[in-house]
Amino acid sequence: MAGIISRLQRETPSPAANTTEPAVVRWSLITVALLFLGLVVFLPLASVFYEALHKGVGLYFKALAEPDALSAIRLTLLTAAIAVPLNLVFGLAASWAIAKFEFRGKQLLTTLIDLPFAVSPVVSGLIYVLLFGAQGWFGPWLQAHDVKILFAVPGIVLATTFVTFPFVARELIPLMQAQGNDEEESALVLGATGWQTFWRVTLPNVKWGLFYGVILCNARAMGEFGAVAVVSGRIRGLTNTMPLHVEILYNEFNSVAAFSMASLLAVLALATLVLKNLIEWRARRVQAEAERSAAQQVQS
Amino acid sequence: MKIETQNINKHFGAFHALRNVSVDIPDGQLVGLLGPSGSGKTTLLRIMAGLETPDDGRILFDGRDTTHLPPRERRVGFVFQHYALFRHMTVFENIAFGLRIQPKAQRQAEGAIRERVMSLLQLIQLEGLAARYPAQLSGGQRQRVALARALAVEPKVLLLDEPFGALDAKVRKELRRWLRELHDTIHVTSVFVTHDVEEALEVADRIVVMNTGRIEQVGAPDHVYENPANPFVCNFLGNVNLFHARVHQGRALVAGVEVAVPEHAEANNKPAFAAARPHDIEVTRTCRSSDSIGVMVDHILPIGPIVRLQLRRTDNRDLIEAELSKDQWRTLKPVTGEYLYVEPHNLRVFVEEDYVI
Repeated sequence: MAGIISRLQRETPSPAANTTEPAVVRWSLITVALLFLGLVVFLPLASVFYEALHKGVGLYFKALAEPDALSAIRLTLLTAAIAVPLNLVFGLAASWAIAKFEFRGKQLLTTLIDLPFAVSPVVSGLIYVLLFGAQGWFGPWLQAHDVKILFAVPGIVLATTFVTFPFVARELIPLMQAQGNDEEESALVLGATGWQTFWRVTLPNVKWGLFYGVILCNARAMGEFGAVAVVSGRIRGLTNTMPLHVEILYNEFNSVAAFSMASLLAVLALATLVLKNLIEWRARRVQAEAERSAAQQVQS
Repeated sequence: MKIETQNINKHFGAFHALRNVSVDIPDGQLVGLLGPSGSGKTTLLRIMAGLETPDDGRILFDGRDTTHLPPRERRVGFVFQHYALFRHMTVFENIAFGLRIQPKAQRQAEGAIRERVMSLLQLIQLEGLAARYPAQLSGGQRQRVALARALAVEPKVLLLDEPFGALDAKVRKELRRWLRELHDTIHVTSVFVTHDVEEALEVADRIVVMNTGRIEQVGAPDHVYENPANPFVCNFLGNVNLFHARVHQGRALVAGVEVAVPEHAEANNKPAFAAARPHDIEVTRTCRSSDSIGVMVDHILPIGPIVRLQLRRTDNRDLIEAELSKDQWRTLKPVTGEYLYVEPHNLRVFVEEDYVI
């Protein structure tokens, strides 16, 4: 019995079985990696929550319940609620066009989709100032018709939408390209209209990729600082989003309130990561299940 | 339904995929489009389905011009090389797809759809797998589901793109026979694309041999095999040995042998090619006449029931391939390096100015 157990233990492959480096090298490498991770990721994250909570939970919630804080939270949620659906629709449409059709200027469109990633967010914000500012191209017309875009909610939504546009499209284009056109062509030959093909074949095939893109897009939409800072004007209680509000509070040495707000953003980021991993895990599980039963099928 | 294509041309950028292709697919037949890759056979099939539009030329279904009809109005069934099953739907839903998407007024009731799908599942012998997803099926099963899905909408034409290309040899053979039997039961006009000569010869009522966007020859498999129209068809349908020849007034001189070629009676001392299949090369140990060609045995390759000999001519070092049955081989017992004699039989002569290889 004891012999069997020890043999089993010996046969169980351990991670170290294939490495020949001495233990000293292995452990010092692992230590360096962990130290780095702790210093760069865990310590700052922990300090956000420590700073927010170290003067008591009461103060933490009081800071969040401030009217200006609540208004910042509301504005951030509103911005995300407009920008994310817009990017979902346009990102889906753009990737559908790019991945499934051939047309002139396709390369240009692909490059344009990457533009928001390529330019600094500050520049993205400045574009809107140039367009809609008092001295901008459409400024006089907008003033004459009493439409406020800059230093108001529409400007913030526009800037956020611009900056977060690539997330959905970048996620879907490679996926759709890998899947090819065969299934769509099958549907068309079977009598489906273009619309039916899109809803019944194209969309279900990319739904996990789409969820994933939307989650990343949402995280960025809520966290965007640079572009929004340029167009918002930072009017407290009116055009302050959460990230902007954090900066204002911090500059006023109100560190508990600043970190309370920051901790909310951090929680949001963590939730996004958990959700993203859940989706990846689910997609992997679905595939593994399919492969397993396929293997069983072949055996039987 | 009868399909006619008339003078079809198709370019992909600078590539001329189809050159003036005209071919008739007779009603109720199983027709094989046969050719090497890049010969335009898949493009022709996709044009029939409406998945590509020709640059010019027309395509007629039962005499009606369908050149610009979208695929969904053509009532064709298309089976893709890699099946293209809907990966997020079960086998049942895949087959039901074509019935479910019909406009409400024409759509059958749920019960009728269920019945139709079940009878198709029975036809493809996969009744037990209705709830499976495509990823859970083997290649051969996927192929049959793709076929059932195409048949569900009762197409007037069935188009199959390399239907057995991605399957292993044994399954391929089974499915091939099954497709032939299926066609004999449902008689729907069918066109399949293949680069596999054996497949085309075995399954098709009629084959269309294509090369570089042109149709080289059309006819019954047996007829085309026995009477290839040109050296390309001859070479593509099976290994051949090509000999240089000269044709003069109905007589061809091939490697010292004189052959009667009445079809070239008007030719005047023209250069030509003569082709003989490896099994039409007679190998002897003794020089029986002045017509025999001296060769040296290069390689001996036993392949299942036959033995292939690679021979080198002693006069010009050209290679000749001969095939012997096991019996012939046992009687002759050739060894590598030995000097033998060959006589080609059943030579086909092609005058050079018509065809360039």
